[in-house]
Amino acid sequence: MTDINRRNLFAAGAIAGAAAGTGIALPTAAAAAATTTAKGHGGPGLADVWGQDFLYQWSPPAEYKRNLTAGPRTIRLSSQSTPRLTGAEGTDYAALFKSMRDGGWSACEAASNAWLERKRPDSEIREIKTQLVANDIHFYGIHCAGNIIAPDPGADRWQRHIITAIHAAEEMGCELILTHAGSMWPNRNWAHPQNWSREAWMRTVAALKRICKDTAGSKVAIAIEAVNTESVNNPWAHKRLREDVGDERISVGLDITNMVFPNVAFRMSEMLDQTFDLLEDQIVYVHAKDFAWNDMLPGMNWTMNGTGNMDYELFLARLSRLKRNPYMLVEFLSTNDEYQQAQRNIRAIAGKLGVKIHNTQP
Amino acid sequence: MRKFALALIAALIPVSAMAADFNGTWVRDAARSKPVPYPNYWLTRVTPSVGGNQNQIFVMRVQQSASEVQVSDPLHNLRNLVPDGKPRVSRTDTGMANMTTTAAMAGDTLTVTTVQPYGGMPGNVTVTATERWALSADGTELTITTVSELPATTLNNVEVFKKQ
Repeated sequence: MTDINRRNLFAAGAIAGAAAGTGIALPTAAAAAATTTAKGHGGPGLADVWGQDFLYQWSPPAEYKRNLTAGPRTIRLSSQSTPRLTGAEGTDYAALFKSMRDGGWSACEAASNAWLERKRPDSEIREIKTQLVANDIHFYGIHCAGNIIAPDPGADRWQRHIITAIHAAEEMGCELILTHAGSMWPNRNWAHPQNWSREAWMRTVAALKRICKDTAGSKVAIAIEAVNTESVNNPWAHKRLREDVGDERISVGLDITNMVFPNVAFRMSEMLDQTFDLLEDQIVYVHAKDFAWNDMLPGMNWTMNGTGNMDYELFLARLSRLKRNPYMLVEFLSTNDEYQQAQRNIRAIAGKLGVKIHNTQP
Repeated sequence: MRKFALALIAALIPVSAMAADFNGTWVRDAARSKPVPYPNYWLTRVTPSVGGNQNQIFVMRVQQSASEVQVSDPLHNLRNLVPDGKPRVSRTDTGMANMTTTAAMAGDTLTVTTVQPYGGMPGNVTVTATERWALSADGTELTITTVSELPATTLNNVEVFKKQ
């Protein structure tokens, strides 16, 4: 076991967060991560900009060289515009997938709560698959609700929910399910003071080990989405989670804006590069949002894609250089018009770079 | 006497040579205005807060000469517009990107076209904002209409000012 010093603890961000409160030395993996990522006291591993003797390193370097070279991959876009794939009884799948295709989208996902409400007959599953092919839509994943480390007995219930979702994804030929590290509150969206404790981390690791074990043999990836209020809220935690669970199905449903804190809010180009450098082999799909810091408290709020602090040029360029064709979910907008506006911005930026996006927008 | 007359003419040239005189202190009529939000946040999931002085009296000061229109207000960095129709590159207020501004005077209208990353951040979509400054016949009211074009949509804003 390697001990690490206080500076490295701070620099290692959430990894350090798991130990800083207890004074416990981190195990080897975390220590190694802290050592390799620590560049001073500037936040979760980004390099110092203004020298180690300076204060918060929240402003970006004057010149940061971005590699905007387009790669060979083609991005498939999905969205949360309506109508969505819920699997409700009586759904006209031909019309549903046609509306997606006509809207410029080429992929979709389902929310677990709705999808798992009922068992579908084989004939309906065949119809879904037929219409997906006919309309060139990829149904790639089930986006899971719930909190796998909720106070007992909630945790067990939600772990079983994830296991059921994995079987359902397998049945539909989906590539992944999406879940989260969880919160020590029953409601996963609330930040609990102990979410970055060793106990919370071990609950997450144990929950995912159980899910992997109970679905052993499945090829469905278990993508984890970072959320600011949870322990997995930075790329280093993503990496550490796979190591601690010890299963390559643990992968990344990348949501960069869910990793944003004041210390990186204006350093998103660097944050993107750091994240892709660390995780590019684990990224199975991504969420597309944008944000601005528009309040006195460190309150980030969502903005229209391509208009906020997210570096969409670099984001799209890095996605196009992954080893697989990425799925990109445009989410957290309110109306279908907004989803179309977001798609136009994304396609415009991609077009400028030469990044390929499947389908065309009307 | 001749020298005095020449000096007087020279002093008057800067303004009189232009078709419109925007000089002065201007107070925005909140009820008749829908200003461009600044900083340029296109928020999607929250109601914009009352920050940015938008609930306070908004005063804009304009100093105009033959070669330049200087604009100061509580929200923006000082703007020096050169209305000669030539594009000029400068840094966005964020200090993170470049923008190109072209100002031109045509008749009674000043047109200012700015091309920049939408929020002034790297990787933003490009927005082209065209401002048209127009005075009322008696010169006491200034209307600035702004059309912002970006791939997502076209945004229309208007600000009406009264001269103090």
